[in-house]
Amino acid sequence: MMGKLLEVKNLQVQFDIFGAHVQAVRGVTFELNKGETLAIVGESGSGKSVTSKALMGLIPNPPGKIKEGQIVFEGKDLVANTEKDWMKLRGKDISMIFQDPMTALNPTMKVGKQIMEGLILHQHMSKSQARERAIDLLRRVGIPNPEKRVEEYPHQFSGGMRQRVVIAIALACNPKVLIADEPTTALDVTIQAQILDLMRDIQKDTGTAIILITHDLGVVANMAQRVAVMYGGKIVETGTLDEIFYNPKHPYTWGLLSSMPKLHAKTDKLQAIPGTPPDLSNPPKGCPFAPRCPYAMKVCVDQMPAYTHLSETQKAACWLQDERAPKVEPPKTIGVGGE
Amino acid sequence: MGRYVLKRIGFMIVTFFVVVTLTFIAMKMLPGTPFLNPKLDPTQRQALMHEYGLDQPLAIQYVKYIWELLQGNMGTSFQYGNEEVTTLLFQKFPVSMNLGFEAIIIGAILGTLLGIFAGLHRGKFLDWGSMIFSMLGISIPSFIFAGILQYFLGVAIPLFPVAGWEGASSHVLPVASLAVGVLAEVAIFMRTEMVEVLNQDYIVTAKAKGLSKNAVVFKHAVRNALIPVVTILGPLTAAIITGSLVIEDIFGIPGIGDQYVKSIVTNDYPMIMGTTELYAALFILTIFIVDLLYGVIDPRIRVSGGHN
Repeated sequence: MMGKLLEVKNLQVQFDIFGAHVQAVRGVTFELNKGETLAIVGESGSGKSVTSKALMGLIPNPPGKIKEGQIVFEGKDLVANTEKDWMKLRGKDISMIFQDPMTALNPTMKVGKQIMEGLILHQHMSKSQARERAIDLLRRVGIPNPEKRVEEYPHQFSGGMRQRVVIAIALACNPKVLIADEPTTALDVTIQAQILDLMRDIQKDTGTAIILITHDLGVVANMAQRVAVMYGGKIVETGTLDEIFYNPKHPYTWGLLSSMPKLHAKTDKLQAIPGTPPDLSNPPKGCPFAPRCPYAMKVCVDQMPAYTHLSETQKAACWLQDERAPKVEPPKTIGVGGE
Repeated sequence: MGRYVLKRIGFMIVTFFVVVTLTFIAMKMLPGTPFLNPKLDPTQRQALMHEYGLDQPLAIQYVKYIWELLQGNMGTSFQYGNEEVTTLLFQKFPVSMNLGFEAIIIGAILGTLLGIFAGLHRGKFLDWGSMIFSMLGISIPSFIFAGILQYFLGVAIPLFPVAGWEGASSHVLPVASLAVGVLAEVAIFMRTEMVEVLNQDYIVTAKAKGLSKNAVVFKHAVRNALIPVVTILGPLTAAIITGSLVIEDIFGIPGIGDQYVKSIVTNDYPMIMGTTELYAALFILTIFIVDLLYGVIDPRIRVSGGHN
């Protein structure tokens, strides 16, 4: 068993916007082990990006703030960090790959310099050392002719190449945790696979733990060992990749899996989960998924279910797991890949 | 890059000659003659007109003027004791240019700083304060400022000379009156750009590297925010030119403004042409420099210029 690297306990993030208190993250608990990939899955507004920003101390304050909870990294609670503490941590121990490589790079700064900044700051390298390392990094992320490219500007790179640069920046100081916030969403499908391969290779080389934020279950299947499914600011189900894909217990997870387009399906209609996510400025008392859940019971609306531990690694927060609940079979439409 | 510059220089020459031509035609449409002395009788006036070639058709006068101009000869003034226009210009123009450049450089630098400052304190009291100050700076004309400054800092508390152009302290009030408008306009522009740039994804990337707030602002935000601001420097230069004519008058500065106005009133043709040409050349050159500066700040423009 690998050691725990990062532990998030009961994290709550709130944004005060126009007098409303939007509770974007409502008590999220998970852990990350050394060298593993944890996928956090959910639709837009489920709180997955906010969770990842909280891990970097990048929640804009105001309007956002961490209301409660702990983020324990190597035995230290990061929630108590001052901005100075964060500066020492960001880019060094925890770094981030952003969603849109077209906008994530500074258009007026040479690519090499953007990589070098972190090295000079955290590893106290000289300019020429940092430049050498930047060239190595560009080579490592698969950019041909890095000696020349290091002197170029972002607009001289294609989207996929820019994402490689973004990855090089994130990797510069050999971080222990790499947070990838939808790293392939903005890329062509053909490039997506290349970028995922690259991230996997790098993980094999460096042993970096990856938190992969995504709504794309195909990406999850390719990359993750463990999965946390988020909905309405909460983790509704978590487990190993196999557990989530082959033995999911939460109706929302069923819905997500059913809505994956299938290659060999005979229907010409895409499956969707009807309804919209809850309004988090006025979060529901009970299960956030209850209004959209086809199996919802009276108790679901009134009371948030506790986690039911289904195995050592899998747990789900759903009243259907209660022994008094009726036995419900998952829908037949769940299928992984083309099966 | 070389080709781009050559092309631009070509356009600049064309623009210059368009300005010269239009000014020449407009000037000849002014009523009256240069020879206003009431003691002159019509035949003498006719003789003078003939001597200066003013009785010839407009087209011929124009061609002759251009021909002389191409050889660097701007003619002699009708008013100032037959002195060479070039001599007169080079006596007085440096003073005007000095005033204008001091105002624009000081205004642009302070305006940029104020804009950055306001942008960083967006929505707070300091932001509102800076922007109200800037709105006033834009809406109140420079000659009003000149009067206010003269009274408060020249008369009520006599810190600086009320008029004249000798020594650094005499520069303070006229340069300040002119610079306020530039400062205000640049500040408002810069603030908008800062707010916009600070919301960009690459700023988050920079923060995620662990850079300090100052490093994020000055290494990543300011340069990007400056790109659009640089473009307004061209038009601002034009505003400074017209503004300085009035300011020179108010502060009794021996610049070219006074002479320029007088040359128009007295139909001093060579003087009108000479001064206009100098201003036009300066303005065209400023816009060219601004465009080059744009390329220096924004690498995307540098490259596209090079490939064209």
